[in-house]
Amino acid sequence: MSKLIDRIVLGACVFLLVSPAILFFLWMLSLAFKNDVDNLAYPPVFIPSPPTFNNFRKVFDSGPFFQYLWNSIVVSGLATVIALAIGVPAGYGIARMKARKLLMTILIARMTPAISFLIPLFTLFQALGLTGTLAPVVITHLVITVPIMVYIVAGYFETLPVELEEAAIVDGCSPWQRFRHIALPLARPGITVAAILAFIFSWNNFIFGAVLSGRETRTLPVAIYNVLTFEQIAWGPLAAAALLVTLPVLLLTLIIQKEIVGGLTAGGVKGG
Amino acid sequence: MASVTLSGIEKSFGDTRVIKGVDISIGDGEFAVFVGPSGCGKSTLLRMIAGLDKPDSGEIRIGQRVVNDLPPKEREVSMVFQTYALYPHMTVKDNMGFGLMIAGQAVDMIQSKVSAAAKILGLDKMLDRLPRQLSGGQRQRVAMGRAMVRDPQVFLFDEPLSNLDAKLRVQMRTEIRALHQRLSTTSIYVTHDQIEAMTMADRIVVLRDGLVEQVGTPVTLYDEPCNTFVATFIGSPAMNLVPASTRGVNATADVGGGVTLAARHASLGERRVVLGLRPEHLRVQGAGSPGIPCSVKVVEFSGADTLLACEAGGMPIQALVHDRLLVKPGDAISLSIAPELVHVFDEGTLRRL
Repeated sequence: MSKLIDRIVLGACVFLLVSPAILFFLWMLSLAFKNDVDNLAYPPVFIPSPPTFNNFRKVFDSGPFFQYLWNSIVVSGLATVIALAIGVPAGYGIARMKARKLLMTILIARMTPAISFLIPLFTLFQALGLTGTLAPVVITHLVITVPIMVYIVAGYFETLPVELEEAAIVDGCSPWQRFRHIALPLARPGITVAAILAFIFSWNNFIFGAVLSGRETRTLPVAIYNVLTFEQIAWGPLAAAALLVTLPVLLLTLIIQKEIVGGLTAGGVKGG
Repeated sequence: MASVTLSGIEKSFGDTRVIKGVDISIGDGEFAVFVGPSGCGKSTLLRMIAGLDKPDSGEIRIGQRVVNDLPPKEREVSMVFQTYALYPHMTVKDNMGFGLMIAGQAVDMIQSKVSAAAKILGLDKMLDRLPRQLSGGQRQRVAMGRAMVRDPQVFLFDEPLSNLDAKLRVQMRTEIRALHQRLSTTSIYVTHDQIEAMTMADRIVVLRDGLVEQVGTPVTLYDEPCNTFVATFIGSPAMNLVPASTRGVNATADVGGGVTLAARHASLGERRVVLGLRPEHLRVQGAGSPGIPCSVKVVEFSGADTLLACEAGGMPIQALVHDRLLVKPGDAISLSIAPELVHVFDEGTLRRL
């Protein structure tokens, strides 16, 4: 009997913790497919009948939505690719040198409040004449992508048995050859997860884009924010736009959720 | 093929002195086994020969070259690891050819060397498999093949059979020995198993606590162990150590009973000693016969032999007999031994007399 009560209490706690996220998402879903009339109806209408695609059409008509989508893809894509080029070798070095303190320093950089360095960065980019391009946004997004990449990848490399690399050393490998032929192929799962997570965090980021991007170069989260303040609150198109922004990363997360947990808790590779 | 010489090797990890001054000389083409209990430093020595660790002081020579400052690549050594350390993402063929590929050898040359080694090791049908598709014994053979194809000066084995089951271990022991006879490459083999040492080695180096206890052929170590540690380490079941007092060639065991020593021990006079009696040399006789009186506690019949676990005055003694004896637990017997088979060690230093 007490086991049943335990289960009920646990279920209730989980529901309480999880419900804000899920319920808001479901409401957003509902808003996106409802007409204006239904939006403001009381008692609230949950499932519109019939559902409408009007809001989505309004989103595409209202502004250069595909321009913003492209901006987001370029910014997050480039930030992830550069993070791969820098972060994977760095993660390897940190793992093999056991430089945990360096790892913590990198993470602290990530945890510093963005506001503290965004204004100086803005004036810096202005002096360099880069405002109005995507360059400032890509560069600052590296603050998001590189630490995640280094942290997850270093953790993954640490799980690779040292004996494999010792065998490679005895076989005649230089450190670079060891990295390229042995460590890198074996770390592919961890690197994939790190890259996807870095992309997701970069995609969702609002603050860097809000401060550093111009009208042409804003990314999707910033564009949505501007929809909110510029015109009157059009809930339907707003919800539709938010859904469009969230959808790619939501799908990505669902597809690889198992690997994310595995990557965060370090994958296990048996050494032959 | 080359000789390997270690002179004055010392190594500490932090505050712990692991190797405390080791001198070992291994001849060209010899199969040398480093054996000793866990923590004696044998793996550390092997790693230093391979170049994976550096000694704090001392010199390592392979052939005539001093290799202390050479990376493993330039020492021309190959190593077989305890956990095989096969590259899990590469096929057997690629695993074996990896070192040659790194060295920049031509593809067809690599192909022919790998095929030749695979044939010798019975791996020619498995070249396209991945390590996870192989059994333990097959993986071990791939590891040996990987070491072989590079045609090194010295083979290094780091407890390669520890991860295999008993039956496979016996089989692989013979295979490694046969391989050595075929290739004649200088080999250094590290193990904690004295049976592997005895059955495989041309020469055995017994190590304890970072020091060499004795170096010799298996026969020498069995017949003339230099101290009680080597005496009890080599040979299974372990040698019985019986404290006694001597008077000329007559020794009286503390637990009672007398043992006659070989004539050469007459000069010992009167002193305290420890007698070393190998279980397989003890003869079982009826109670009251000359020898050490004891009572049988456990009888272990294993087909070819019978192991008697006895007790003499509270001290355990083991006897290994080949005949079928009608002995039961609780029987009183007397254990005697031929004088020339008795080992005598000084009670204080525990060194051979």
